[in-house]
Amino acid sequence: MFLRRFAGPLLAKVKETTGIVGLDVVPNARDVLISLYSKTLKEVQSVPEDEGYRKAVESFTRHRLKVCQEEEEWEQIEKRIGCGQVEELIEEAQDELKLMAKMIEWDPWGVPEGYECEIIENDAPIPKHVPQHRPGPLPEEFYNTLEAVSSLPKIDEQATISKESQPKE
Amino acid sequence: MKRNYKKAFFIFMDNQFIFKYSWKTTPKKWVHKMERSEHGNRSDTNTDYPFQLLCFLKLHTYTRVQVSIDICGVDHPSRKRRFEVVHNLLSTRYNSRIRVQTSADEVTRISPVVSPFPSAGRWEREVWDMSGVSSINHPDLRRISTDYGFEGHPLRKDLPLSGYVEVRYDDPEKRVVSEPIEMTQEFRYFDSASPWEQRSDG
Repeated sequence: MFLRRFAGPLLAKVKETTGIVGLDVVPNARDVLISLYSKTLKEVQSVPEDEGYRKAVESFTRHRLKVCQEEEEWEQIEKRIGCGQVEELIEEAQDELKLMAKMIEWDPWGVPEGYECEIIENDAPIPKHVPQHRPGPLPEEFYNTLEAVSSLPKIDEQATISKESQPKE
Repeated sequence: MKRNYKKAFFIFMDNQFIFKYSWKTTPKKWVHKMERSEHGNRSDTNTDYPFQLLCFLKLHTYTRVQVSIDICGVDHPSRKRRFEVVHNLLSTRYNSRIRVQTSADEVTRISPVVSPFPSAGRWEREVWDMSGVSSINHPDLRRISTDYGFEGHPLRKDLPLSGYVEVRYDDPEKRVVSEPIEMTQEFRYFDSASPWEQRSDG
């Protein structure tokens, strides 16, 4: 019994360095992440429902929290979330909390009356000789979040529910 | 239909996904025009909001734009709000670029974005120097590219190409003096319909 409790942290690989200047290794990254994500989920309740921002934050925070709770080692967490190292994830979570505090302070929710947004979809192809910027593939969960955000509000029954986002009952 | 679209253009459209995502998640009050194209995605906003929009883009988890590449001012003399301040941003994590544009008068002042992006200090100074669009509470607003004592803002369309003063070294006075220019230039007017060279005074 004691072996199982203590062998986990002992058998886990120790991270030597993050490889990034200025970012130190956080040994208890998993706990830090879990606490940050739970705090994020609590804070996002103050954002009005039906806002794309809230749906997106809930969707990816829940996914990441689930991954962190399932996996024990930082390496597995990194591989599954697919968004860089755990220290970077910690930084992202902290930034998200900062952002939420600011958004709640600025309060930009709701669509003003007479709001017109001009969307230009310019599909003109670039000439072949111009070097084109091809970004790399995005993490899997980004597409889930995008679907969660584009889903119609709960009132409409044709909402596409991705496996990550579940409307709060 | 959406699924097939994604599969067929998977390699080319990744940049657009970040943009579409940012369109869905940014609060609607902030943007009033968005363009998505292969030539560069951009979003237009009102004067009050660029600071907030840029903070959002910087801190949010799925649009980590942490590098401000450039801020420049564009002069469109025919419009009422003649200047356009363009922020070019880059996200190193998701490898995507985005442009945020605001329009401003000669007298409108923009909020500086120096706190999220420290490099913007110099860009804002350049915008002030070249086009005359100043910032409120900017930590350090001085001229950066023009000569000391230069009057006027060079990148405005009403300043002629050769300027108004010329400098020369004056031997009796043993220093550089600036005098009104000897080679004047009229406002250049191009009319491609006629083969003869046009002059602005008819």
